[in-house]
Amino acid sequence: MKTILKILNKIGTVLKNIFLSIWNFILKLWKHPKGKIGIIVISLLAICAIFAPLIAPYDPYDVTQRAAKGLAPSWEHLLGTTITTGQDIFSMLIYGTRVSLVIGLVTGISIAFVGAIMGILAGYIGGVVDNIIMRVVDILLVIPTLPLIIVLTNIFGKTYLMIIVIFVALGWTGLARVIRSLVLVLKNANYVKASELAGASRWHIMIKHILPGVSHLLIMSTALSCAGIMVAEAGLSFLGLGDPTAISWGKMLAEAQSGGALLFGHWWWIMAPGIGIFLAVFSFMRIGLALEEMFNPRMKQSNNMYKIFKHLNNTYLNEVFNSMNNEELLGIQVPLTEQTNLKGEN
Amino acid sequence: MSDLMLKLRNLKVIFPNEIGILKAVEGIDLDIHRGECVAVVGESGCGKSVTALAIMKLLNSPPALMRVDELQLDGEELKDYSDTKMQEIRGKQIAMIFQDAMTALNPVMTIGNQIDEVYLRHSKMTKKKAREATITVLRLVGVPEPESRANNFPHQLSGGMRQRVLIAMAFATMPKLIIADEPTTALDVTIQAQVLNVLNDMQKKHQMSLLLITHDLSVVANMADMVYVMYCGKVVEKGTVKQLFTNPHHPYTVGLLASVPKLSDTHHHFVQIPDCVPHPMFKPAGCYFHPRCTHAIDICSKEMPPLVSVEDGRQIRCWNCLNQMKGGK
Amino acid sequence: MSDNQEIKSPILELKNLTVNFPVKGGLPFTPKKWIQAVSDVSLQIESGETFGIVGESGCGKSTIGNAMVGMVRPTSGSVIFKGSNLNTLSRSEFKETRRHMQMIFQDPYSSLNPRFTVYQIISEPLYIQGGATKEQMTERVVELLKLVGLSEKDLYRYPSDFSGGQRQRIGIARAIILNPDFLICDEPVSALDVSVHAQILNLLMELQDKLKITYVFISHNLAVVKNICEHMVVMYLGKVMESGTTEAIYNNPKHPYTKALISAVLDIDLEHSQKRILLKGDIPSPINPPKGCRFWQRCPYAMKGCIDHPAEMVEIEPNHFVACHLVSGFSIEDKTAGLNCPIEEEHVLKHNDEKKQSN
Repeated sequence: MKTILKILNKIGTVLKNIFLSIWNFILKLWKHPKGKIGIIVISLLAICAIFAPLIAPYDPYDVTQRAAKGLAPSWEHLLGTTITTGQDIFSMLIYGTRVSLVIGLVTGISIAFVGAIMGILAGYIGGVVDNIIMRVVDILLVIPTLPLIIVLTNIFGKTYLMIIVIFVALGWTGLARVIRSLVLVLKNANYVKASELAGASRWHIMIKHILPGVSHLLIMSTALSCAGIMVAEAGLSFLGLGDPTAISWGKMLAEAQSGGALLFGHWWWIMAPGIGIFLAVFSFMRIGLALEEMFNPRMKQSNNMYKIFKHLNNTYLNEVFNSMNNEELLGIQVPLTEQTNLKGEN
Repeated sequence: MSDLMLKLRNLKVIFPNEIGILKAVEGIDLDIHRGECVAVVGESGCGKSVTALAIMKLLNSPPALMRVDELQLDGEELKDYSDTKMQEIRGKQIAMIFQDAMTALNPVMTIGNQIDEVYLRHSKMTKKKAREATITVLRLVGVPEPESRANNFPHQLSGGMRQRVLIAMAFATMPKLIIADEPTTALDVTIQAQVLNVLNDMQKKHQMSLLLITHDLSVVANMADMVYVMYCGKVVEKGTVKQLFTNPHHPYTVGLLASVPKLSDTHHHFVQIPDCVPHPMFKPAGCYFHPRCTHAIDICSKEMPPLVSVEDGRQIRCWNCLNQMKGGK
Repeated sequence: MSDNQEIKSPILELKNLTVNFPVKGGLPFTPKKWIQAVSDVSLQIESGETFGIVGESGCGKSTIGNAMVGMVRPTSGSVIFKGSNLNTLSRSEFKETRRHMQMIFQDPYSSLNPRFTVYQIISEPLYIQGGATKEQMTERVVELLKLVGLSEKDLYRYPSDFSGGQRQRIGIARAIILNPDFLICDEPVSALDVSVHAQILNLLMELQDKLKITYVFISHNLAVVKNICEHMVVMYLGKVMESGTTEAIYNNPKHPYTKALISAVLDIDLEHSQKRILLKGDIPSPINPPKGCRFWQRCPYAMKGCIDHPAEMVEIEPNHFVACHLVSGFSIEDKTAGLNCPIEEEHVLKHNDEKKQSN
């Protein structure tokens, strides 16, 4: 009983630490102007995704809620209805958030996980492990993603899970390479040597020293890769390789094109998913850029310098410069013949 | 005073940042005569490298702000020169030798090409003539087999060789003033001796003025004629090498000289200056050295002592010394 | 945590230590090139003393330091610490033994993890060893902070708040938390300002008095080594040139390299300025060191025999050994072959040409 309590206690503190660090992290991002926009937009999208049934006026999956086909935007249908099935486009937009965000985040975080583990193992342990992992990376990098997805979805069925699995399986390689090169540098740091001398096991060094050292790169890379994945997923859905039953922005674009939106001039049908994709990617990239500036102090400095210089005005500067003046006592011509007793601080 | 090569009066450099203003150099005067070697001594953070960059007007305006009353090179007032005009002066009349040769040389150009560049930029030579001049100057600094070495890349040379290449680049156009910023700190002891020998020879032979910036007092003892000691952006003592090393006055200079381990030492305890150099953003009130000074008196914590000229061309900035001199009068 | 008792036999001994590193890269079927970092070095360090290793870059002093604590496997020869050969120990025994040896590093800016607080940095070895509660660790860290001249309020600050000298003190505190018997100081003051040198060196001397630690002091600054080391060894390109007590070596330097090093230490004593011995040429690379005496190419007194015949270590006075043909001389047959004649210029050039062709 006691041991169970102890274990629960430990898990509790670990979780608390994780939540605290994530909260601090969000606070830091909030202070940064780019980060602010990113967080705001992502929060809006997240609200749309989580509370989709509450926000969307109609349920696009419900066949009974179909309206007349091809309606222009109006107060009942904010973005009109589709030409092919009469679903409300606005509701489809909201429900589509779910697919994009989930796929983007899940894939991004999985890639971060796998890439970091592989990169750290390859970099720190080196030798045979390094060789094996790097050869695997080389092989995986050669495989083209799109044909593989086409083949595998034909065999195993078109599900988003398949797409996520393939993205992760082929996408961890780039991150692993980058992290491995950073680990190779960190490995030779003197504090790692000092740890080894004190008898630290490999795991201790990898978790306590190397992982925090690559964490900056990892987080930044994750944010940027999420953005890229969302675009890639939209593209795949557009090509028809995604789940045919789910509603995603890429699929909306595909339907819009095949349903003749351009022909009939229904620009709102094309703009809606386009703006959706744009907002999602934009917010992640903003966060990624804010992170890059936060972690690379030199970039922040150069930005701040111009702001600081704008605030300085001449009177203040004159004051500062005059405070440094030398008042020279016009030469006391004293011949220093005797040795003054100022030497010797033994 | 046509003998005065560099006349620097009241140089001030500040670095504004989010927290406040960092006063890097607070009003220093510098005189360098023709053929003289002047050393500026101080530890990290005292503003000596910033002074060197300021003389060459290489400080970018963000992040630095510089003001100077006079900056004359051989009578020519450089204070108001634009950057384009300074480009004519830099390399041709003032040259700089940097500390880390590996980062001061372009890693993807051969050293021959880099030295050629100096000639091609500042004199109307053909490429062939420039290459001949390069080989001559490489031979002068003691690089063996200069014809083949000129085609080497910097990473193929050893540290001492690279430093000699930097010296060659500086001497190439026979400038009037050479500024050497810690030229031998990164080198091994025996190589340091060789490189300093070369520098000394070249300077004495061609009668060029040398501004030597260093924290290594032994280098100063062997090369310099006049010494300025800087602390926290101000000059605290100035004098000839002989005066300073045999009879230092300012407590900081005394402490610095005493703390250098010498071969003639016999005791096993090192003399140390208590505490450490203050952060340049948070300098103490009054005399900057007073928290570490064993002879500090009341006034030292209230007012900054002025720089007082004494006979023999010495200058001292210390209340204690001032009082002693007044007392002795 | 063991007591630092008086041990009669030397606390550390190197027997014919050779460390070679392979040169990476190079075509598959060419003969492999080796960096001969340390070649056949033997020395003994007594408990409680300060032992100096002096030399310039490329002489192998850092490699010797690394080999002494077991970070580098010797290619041949052995490192014997407190009677046990480091190579023959099992993994756990090795870890246990290693705890008695620690190291402080040259660059104070990269030897502390910038994301750790001071408390985490200093207490890490104790945490790794295990067995202490948080309160015990905090207490011990505070004790050490006071010992090295920092204060308790620095406990949760980050290294970026401290100056170079203070960071070095943190590094020293980290090194002594496990009460090691043996501490390697790899150029601990080279990266610091001159006025801070004295503070750190005094601190190290104080700690040695209090805690009875044996120091190995690696440096290229001969003046410092003279003042704090009892025994020392002068290295060049992986081999020992001269060894013995510091007093004997400084009073009577015999090897030309030692003489050049001592004269190159520019003294600030203007009255006793001495003529500097300038060596020719540069430090060669340790990949293909010269056969015979490794110093002959720069030696002002090189003789023909120095090119191919390595010199033996000879004891010229008690506790003073030199490896130089000028001291040990040549045998009679070698003298008749003219090996004791100084080398002329064209001989050097011919040798250089031969070397270029073989590379």
